[in-house]
Amino acid sequence: MKMSLRVRLLGTIIGAIVLFFIISIVAARLVLSSDLLEQGKTEVTNGAGAFGGYWDSRKDQIKLLVAQDAVQDALRKNLQTGNAAALQDQLSNIARTSGLSFLTVVDANGNVVARANGPQKGSLKGNSLIQRALTGETVSTATLLDATFLTGEGLAPQAQSDIKGADGSTVAHVDKGLSIVSAAPISDANERTIGAIYGGVLMNHYYDLVDQAKHALGGSSAVLEGDAIVASTIDQADGTRTVDVQVGPAGDVVKSGTAYTGSDTQGGTEYLVHIDPIQDDQNTVVGARWYGIPMSQIDAIINHITLTLLLWGLVAMVLALAIAVPIVQRLSNTLTKRSQQVRSAAKELGVIIVGSEVSGDHVTLTKEAVDRSATLVDQIAAGDTGKVAELKAVNEELQNDMIVLDTLSGEMATRMKQAVDRVAELNEVAGGLNVLVTGEAS
Amino acid sequence: MPDLILFFGSNADTMIATKALKDAGVAAKMIPKPASVAASSNLCLSIDPGAESQAKSALTTAGVALGGVVK
Repeated sequence: MKMSLRVRLLGTIIGAIVLFFIISIVAARLVLSSDLLEQGKTEVTNGAGAFGGYWDSRKDQIKLLVAQDAVQDALRKNLQTGNAAALQDQLSNIARTSGLSFLTVVDANGNVVARANGPQKGSLKGNSLIQRALTGETVSTATLLDATFLTGEGLAPQAQSDIKGADGSTVAHVDKGLSIVSAAPISDANERTIGAIYGGVLMNHYYDLVDQAKHALGGSSAVLEGDAIVASTIDQADGTRTVDVQVGPAGDVVKSGTAYTGSDTQGGTEYLVHIDPIQDDQNTVVGARWYGIPMSQIDAIINHITLTLLLWGLVAMVLALAIAVPIVQRLSNTLTKRSQQVRSAAKELGVIIVGSEVSGDHVTLTKEAVDRSATLVDQIAAGDTGKVAELKAVNEELQNDMIVLDTLSGEMATRMKQAVDRVAELNEVAGGLNVLVTGEAS
Repeated sequence: MPDLILFFGSNADTMIATKALKDAGVAAKMIPKPASVAASSNLCLSIDPGAESQAKSALTTAGVALGGVVK
């Protein structure tokens, strides 16, 4: 299919704009994806840092609470007198008002004197934190509380859970508890250590800290024991919290002790997450803090900007076409007019060339008729009167030839005059085309 | 046998037709338009009646519009 110059010019302009448009959109989308992902990683890393700040703040708060309790006169006197019942009431009140999961006092040998959560006795002398407290040190750390201790404190049901994998099947069972704990020595009036107080918050299925982080930071946060979520603000499709599930990327964080920043899918939603390891006082990784924002937030920004670029690009294209179409129209009209002038001139010049040839041929024929006439005249003069009729016919032919030659001569004269005008017109056309193409007057 | 007369819209067309017929090998003689023929051209062509179809074909190929034929 042959296309007109107008269609070709407009097609080229539209094609160039569309190509520019597509490349710009693709490039913008690629750059946006890359830059926003980096920006998102920075955001979740900062958010995770702030979440870590809440964690440390809670740890300091527990340490302060336990240290203050350790110097209470009433508590010290009840320990010295061995009044376990009064001590238990006292511990229970303190734990309830300060939000501690457990608060226990041991004597100088590590034997349990009283617990906030019940009358169970027992020995904690094997507990490294208690041992350090009995030497006069106040310690505070994250730790994994074993099942025996949790049972003694009545906290085992809160900690126990089946951990589910990505496919929904049970992959592990948790009976330990991730906790922030603190232990402080209790001294008598002579500064002699007579026991220790040990308290803390069990983080399994404890949501105050993650909720606080979510309210302050946005996004979602979770606390992991090992690689399993034990408390979180991550919503599932049904609106419940995501808990007791395995987090794939956290396995490496727990093993290597290094943070992870990247993608993780929880509750059917893909998140951009930062996972920091949680270490105990011996620098052993006991869990992790998970902080993330839905990947859809980043995708929404990318899509919004892409759509905006697309719309403005369309507006620009319409404007460009509104400007280009009249220009192309004018250019096309000019070229069409010039083309018609050239064709018309060429046709007329062609007629002159043909006319010259035809005239030449006719002159030759006329000359032959004249020669024939002369021969016939000679023959008649010699007495051949039978040729008179033939001479008459040749003479009529010559008369017609003269009329034809006269007509052709007139026609050619007119044509030649027009040709002169056409040549001048062609010069003007050439000049116009030169201006059109080079912009310079010739 | 009387000649076949072809006439055209203009003298220029008559000239072009003469050239076209010559190139096609059809003998044609340019003559003044007979008084009995109504045409805007002053000239017309006289050809052998047997060459009519060949002449029409050559004129069609050359793109020359034939004004009429007088036998």
